[in-house]
Amino acid sequence: MKKLFTLSLAVLVSALFAATAFAADTIKVGVQAPTTGQYANEGQGIDNATRLMVEQYNAKGGLLGKKLEVFTCDDEGQAMKAAICAKELVNKGVIMVIGSYTSSAAEAAQKTYYRAGVLQTTDGTSDSLVKNGYWTFFRNSNPNSANAQFTAEYMVNVAKFKRIAIVSDYSSYAQGLADAVTKEIKAVNGNIVYEGKIKAGSQNFTPVLTKVKSLDPDVIYFSGYYADGGLLRAQQKQLGIDAAFIGGDANDNVDFRKLAGGAAEGAMIVNVPTPDMLPYDLAKNFLADYRAKFGKDIPSIWALLNADGLLAFLTAIEKTGTTDTKKLSEWLHSNELNGMSGKLKWDDKGERVGSAFMVYKITADGSYDVAYPKQ
Amino acid sequence: MDILLQQIVNGLTIGSIYALVALGYTMVYGVMKLINFAHGDLVALSAYIGLVFYTQMAAGGAMPQALTIVLVFLLTAIVVAIFGVLLERIAYRPLRNAPRLSAVVSALGASMMIQNGIMLVWGPNILIFPSDILPATSWNIYGVTITFVQAAMIIITIMLMLALTLFINFTKMGTAIRASAINQDAAKLMGINVNFIIIIIFVLGSMLGAVGGLFIGMYYRGISFNLGWTYGMSAFIAAILGGIGNIPGSMVGGYLLGLFTALIAGYVSSAWAEAFTYILLIMILIVRPTGILGERVAEKV
Repeated sequence: MKKLFTLSLAVLVSALFAATAFAADTIKVGVQAPTTGQYANEGQGIDNATRLMVEQYNAKGGLLGKKLEVFTCDDEGQAMKAAICAKELVNKGVIMVIGSYTSSAAEAAQKTYYRAGVLQTTDGTSDSLVKNGYWTFFRNSNPNSANAQFTAEYMVNVAKFKRIAIVSDYSSYAQGLADAVTKEIKAVNGNIVYEGKIKAGSQNFTPVLTKVKSLDPDVIYFSGYYADGGLLRAQQKQLGIDAAFIGGDANDNVDFRKLAGGAAEGAMIVNVPTPDMLPYDLAKNFLADYRAKFGKDIPSIWALLNADGLLAFLTAIEKTGTTDTKKLSEWLHSNELNGMSGKLKWDDKGERVGSAFMVYKITADGSYDVAYPKQ
Repeated sequence: MDILLQQIVNGLTIGSIYALVALGYTMVYGVMKLINFAHGDLVALSAYIGLVFYTQMAAGGAMPQALTIVLVFLLTAIVVAIFGVLLERIAYRPLRNAPRLSAVVSALGASMMIQNGIMLVWGPNILIFPSDILPATSWNIYGVTITFVQAAMIIITIMLMLALTLFINFTKMGTAIRASAINQDAAKLMGINVNFIIIIIFVLGSMLGAVGGLFIGMYYRGISFNLGWTYGMSAFIAAILGGIGNIPGSMVGGYLLGLFTALIAGYVSSAWAEAFTYILLIMILIVRPTGILGERVAEKV
């Protein structure tokens, strides 16, 4: 009887092992992105780009003889949902996570991935994302501080704006960027006449803009997202405020122009180059494949930066020949590789090294004109 | 001073939307004692339907713009009214004699269904109204800017409210509605077809909500599937503020809430606008539980 028990236990245990071995036959890639809600356009871009790249790798036979498998979790760009997504993806057994689009959502999930030893890459630009220096974390965009330095330099020393109004929303990304820009403007002796916030998604910004109007600024700098930025610009013109408008990088989206309508003309946006301005073949090929597969362009540079993070992770697996995330992280911290958005290199806190910001001015036909630096 | 006046114009603009939507809550509550939580989603639905009608009609390009706009408003109001009647038929009528909580749960369920339906049909992304539907004219009066759209919104809202007030107070149908609001059973005994009255209430409420939804689309331009919740909640508070069940009350409540939020956002902080709204609501409920104008029905009982 005892023998039978031992035997059946042995069978059970080996069956369990077989099950785990079977599960490990794929390399699991998680996508945490806002595929519905306000930022759905961006979130779907991240998901599509990940799936496309994974498909391409699988077509070549996968990595280390294993196929790649994608799991997507919709965080709606919200911190609370992001925390749930993180648990869900970790439970699914992913070893790397692509996303999320908003800093708040990336930050809320960060610790869970760190504890589980899951690599994470995000385009979130909030400075607080790297404060913990988790070995699992790799930011793939340029941080707010580099962005802020560039923006302040442009507003104060290049465009010579004398009265600056700064508007943000309550997200950690927008607040972080606004705070950083404010600090840098003060550092170059610029004059800030207004600092305020709007509530994202509330659509009605006239009360705040009316207050701004009374202070007669030369420029309104908005650090939030395009869905609010486009409306803010439209309502600024409606109220007859003549000031220039500079949007932070999250305003870089075609919907900004659609929402602002005729008022879009002359609005400026500070960002790294748009996907179609990237000179690298790697990017050009991927963008062409994306267009061919999904019938539209990738929504923005942000989705592409997330895909670039995936590319880095997959390259690391290829080069090191392991899926041990600790080893992958070590490799990524000590090597430099060619990505779609240029050289990919990270410091010990997971901060991407190097920057390439530009000021774009929206023209009458809705296209971008590089306003600074002049080429 | 011109800043204050500008804020008042801002407040009246958003207040118009609140007032139009609040009327839908108040009329249904007045007759059925039911908070129709799906009303806000009908408002969102009307913005989408309006956009479809507009793009279809503008694509032909043969019609004068003014006629197109009038037709868009009419057709949207009619279609949304049909949805309103269906909503009553499917979600509320079977529960008319059930405990009140069942009807509220049904209302919340209907709200989620419409919201997700919108997302399935039109997708989760923001849709954008063209910017050239209405003229971009604006006037500058002593430093106060008012655009054509704002002026049209305020004037049309006030006209609709006047029409509704006249209809309720001076027509036979209006009398029947008021009678049903006071006592449904007694109204039935007097030969009033209460079922028909309820349909009329849903038709009127949905049509006013449709106008509100189109205003949101034309003024704010970006519409998303969940906008019904944002505006529905504010309009619901407006209805409570003014006295739910009381028609002039929800108009007052709507404009008051619009002005209040504009002033708080302008002078205190936009983050606090919502918090202060709830504080205002709580204060009104403590001092005057029936709302500012009170519920007329309750007074007559």
